[in-house]
Amino acid sequence: MPSSQLLAVMDAAVDAVVLIDHAGSILAINRSGEQMFGWAPGELVGRNVSELMPEPWRSRHDGFLQRYLETGVSTIIGTGRELQAQRRDGSVFPAHLSVGRVEGIDPPQFVGFIRDTTSLHEHIASVQEQVRRSGDRLMHVSRMATMGEMAAGIAHELNQPLTAIANYARASERFLASPDADLADVREAVSEIAVEALRAGTIIRRLRQLVRGGDDARETADLNEVIEELRVLTVADARMHDTRIRFELQKGLPGVSMHRTQVMQALLNLLRNALEALGGEPPPEREIVVRTTRNADGDCEVAVCDNGPGVAPEILDRMFDPFLTTKKQGTGLGLPMSRTIAQAHGGSVRYEPASPRGACFTLTLPPAGTVP
Amino acid sequence: MKEKQPTVFIVDDDDGVRASIRLLLKSIGYTATPMASAQEFLSAFDPAQPGCLVLDIRMPGMSGMELQQQLNLRGATLPVIFITGHGDVPMAVEAMQHGAFDFLQKPFRDQDLIDRVQKALKRDQETRTALQKHDQIRQKLESLTPREREVLNLMIKGQQNKVMAAELGLSQRTVEIHRAHVMEKMEAGSVAQLVRMVLDLG
Repeated sequence: MPSSQLLAVMDAAVDAVVLIDHAGSILAINRSGEQMFGWAPGELVGRNVSELMPEPWRSRHDGFLQRYLETGVSTIIGTGRELQAQRRDGSVFPAHLSVGRVEGIDPPQFVGFIRDTTSLHEHIASVQEQVRRSGDRLMHVSRMATMGEMAAGIAHELNQPLTAIANYARASERFLASPDADLADVREAVSEIAVEALRAGTIIRRLRQLVRGGDDARETADLNEVIEELRVLTVADARMHDTRIRFELQKGLPGVSMHRTQVMQALLNLLRNALEALGGEPPPEREIVVRTTRNADGDCEVAVCDNGPGVAPEILDRMFDPFLTTKKQGTGLGLPMSRTIAQAHGGSVRYEPASPRGACFTLTLPPAGTVP
Repeated sequence: MKEKQPTVFIVDDDDGVRASIRLLLKSIGYTATPMASAQEFLSAFDPAQPGCLVLDIRMPGMSGMELQQQLNLRGATLPVIFITGHGDVPMAVEAMQHGAFDFLQKPFRDQDLIDRVQKALKRDQETRTALQKHDQIRQKLESLTPREREVLNLMIKGQQNKVMAAELGLSQRTVEIHRAHVMEKMEAGSVAQLVRMVLDLG
């Protein structure tokens, strides 16, 4: 039994201090320890220290001690580690334990110092959450910036069905006002109004998906299908930039496990860069090709190629750096964001010059089931 | 010469917009020919076909502006009404400077389109009538002999027969005969009318 002076020293400690004998029986525990584990003063003395830990360690602890006594080898003495501790009421909390052997006593006794690390863990979790949120926020901001750049094209694209609807409605009015109206014409107009209204609805749905999305769960999706969903917005954007856009989608690609909105964002960034790169070319020449393939490694690839000037040699090794931009109003987040998204999906983004001229950015994503 | 019915050509790559304009024009009794691209229009272009052109300013491939340039190069007189989007006003201004008849911003009021199409068709008809008249005058001029042509040139300068005879080295009687032929061939009722015909040609 420790002297009363030693007990007083133990009680002064903020951490739990537990003294046990060679069989694991608690010889002494300080007040902090009793409070930490929810026991009344004196209750723990004589109990096995394994009662302070949850299963499976509880059942194994006697074995650990036994092995140490036989071999003299310990994985814990002198090192300390993070583990789970258990209160009297069964609740478990994270703790840091360091153990020392009390010298000069036989059979040996051990002293353990235990610190409740709940608040530390909470702090780490909150920092991680903040980092994740900042990342999400940045991704959202970057996506909004991209959408902003596309606004003119999207507005134009919405104007098309609205124009058609107005024309069909007025035409119907006029047909109906004439005494010898041909109802077939009116029927055609009314049916087309429905078609055009649905078309406007599709544009808005695609838009909302990009504006709101971001917290969508991972799902297995076909890359071609994702490109099809982007098509209406991309074609509108390309039209605004007097650029032709061609889709060469290879059928039968394997599904990719993805956050759909993120992959869309990665693709949009590449498409927007291509459009911007073509700004200095004569309009009839401007062309973008979006090509999906499955590469030799079995991964899915989307190549976005333009026939513009290509990436300037002096920025070749910096083009994926954040905040590097060649656009007047660029954020410099597009390419790094695309790469980050690709990497988070176990994939990559690479650059190659196109032939005879232009830039080719290829997003590679492994098929579902091949990455954890 | 057989008179062709005027038609309103609609060139717009957007299926919905194109078809709806066609139906709108049909509802007021106009014949419209929709086409999906500038190339399609150009390859079917017939300068003798009266009408007007409703043209989307932004199209992939050959844009509306480029089609207008091509038509200008071919000396086409077909009036062009441009359909523009919201942010395309500077382009529309440029198109007007290159001789566009008018432009409309999408979405437009049906009456605005109809009014413009009506005006454009009227303009086209006037242009064609004027050109036809010019052609007739030109043909009449070409029927004159070189000598009659000389006499005509002096007539529109208001020269007297006596002066003409001296200048051309002819007898006054011969000048009078040429003069009668000129009036007859040009189907002119008076010298004043003859002068106007020649001035019209510019």
